[in-house]
Amino acid sequence: MKRLSTALTHGFIRCHECGQLIKTKEECICPVCKGHVSKRRNKNLHLTAALVISSLSLYIPANIFPIMAVTELGSTEQHTIAGGIIALIRQDMIPIAMLVLVASILVPLLKLMGLTLLMLCVHYRWQVNAKLFTRLYRIIAFVGRWSMLDIFMISILTGLVDIGGVAKVIAGPAATAFAAVVVLTMFAAKSFDPRLIWDHQLNHD
Amino acid sequence: MSFEACPECDLLLNQTQAAPGDKAHCPRCGYLLQRPHKHSIERTFALSIAGLILIAPANLLPMLRVKILGNIQEGTLWTGVGTLLKEDMWAVAMLVLLSSVILPFVNMLLAFLLSVHLFYQRSNSHMIPWMRWYQHLYEWAMIEVYALGIIVACVKLSDMADIKFGFGLYAFIGLLIVNAMLANEFDSYTFWRRITELAEK
Ligand SMILES: [Zn+2]
Repeated sequence: MKRLSTALTHGFIRCHECGQLIKTKEECICPVCKGHVSKRRNKNLHLTAALVISSLSLYIPANIFPIMAVTELGSTEQHTIAGGIIALIRQDMIPIAMLVLVASILVPLLKLMGLTLLMLCVHYRWQVNAKLFTRLYRIIAFVGRWSMLDIFMISILTGLVDIGGVAKVIAGPAATAFAAVVVLTMFAAKSFDPRLIWDHQLNHD
Repeated sequence: MSFEACPECDLLLNQTQAAPGDKAHCPRCGYLLQRPHKHSIERTFALSIAGLILIAPANLLPMLRVKILGNIQEGTLWTGVGTLLKEDMWAVAMLVLLSSVILPFVNMLLAFLLSVHLFYQRSNSHMIPWMRWYQHLYEWAMIEVYALGIIVACVKLSDMADIKFGFGLYAFIGLLIVNAMLANEFDSYTFWRRITELAEK
């Protein structure tokens, strides 16, 4: 059985930057945009794996430590990400609570699991429905930035609620960890090349 | 006959030009290859001017005014960044500043520079780097996520404070709409083609 046909098997490489197709088998400089042309982005997955592992290890402190502290009339309450969601449920704001749950807890976790699955598929040359896996990659790349929701909300609250001892919102240590998780997973998704999924698929017809 | 390749599954395709308003998808993986618009360059030009004008009030005017136990406080897009810096959360502050203020402005400026040069057919050696920067920075400008953050913050505050909306917020919503329209009109396939045609002249 033969490998699926790609531009690479026909002796072409597509420039990552401008999309120009270049008849070459080796890495070169794109004649159109002067960008660096390589066959695939991060073929050996080292960079993607490193980014996934570091964001996974930061995901734990991001969820354990308080992401913000709310002071109201002298009493201070520390909120973790999950605590903030519970507070929203107590306010009877179920849809908003669900939104924060999805954006802050589920999206980063599912993203990391999805990227791990994609890397395993490439590393072990699994024969899969490549179209489905490419769609998974697209979803991962699209949803990542929406996790910044919590960071923006905290930034707005700390700016607005700052009245001495009466009422004050302070960002907690988990905010930095969580921001790092969002940034690292976005870089991780960017470093993965979905064409690697197609490269090892065999032609079944 | 010239060829092109799908960026996500690397299928070799005959180069075609989709008609304006049509969409060309990759037959193998479904990737959206082209969605040319009529007047993509002219509309990007107009929208980027509107965006650059709206950015000033959206950044400078107060967006929200809260009243907590008789104390009134106003906040612009910058207030949160300032407070975060005071609390020594500089990494978070920089990330918020980049994704809600600096990069939306840089992207709008790049879209303006690219479309104005293409509109007046002026060649400029910086256009290819501009285009590359635009494509890389695109996902790091997050004003639509910030807008969602405003909504969640307002819900959280509704128990303890009276909230009033300022002109900054209306300008920000305008910017949000212009930004979404621009993202829809900016057709990178056409832009790359026109830039290379202009450079070869
Ligand atoms: Zn494809």
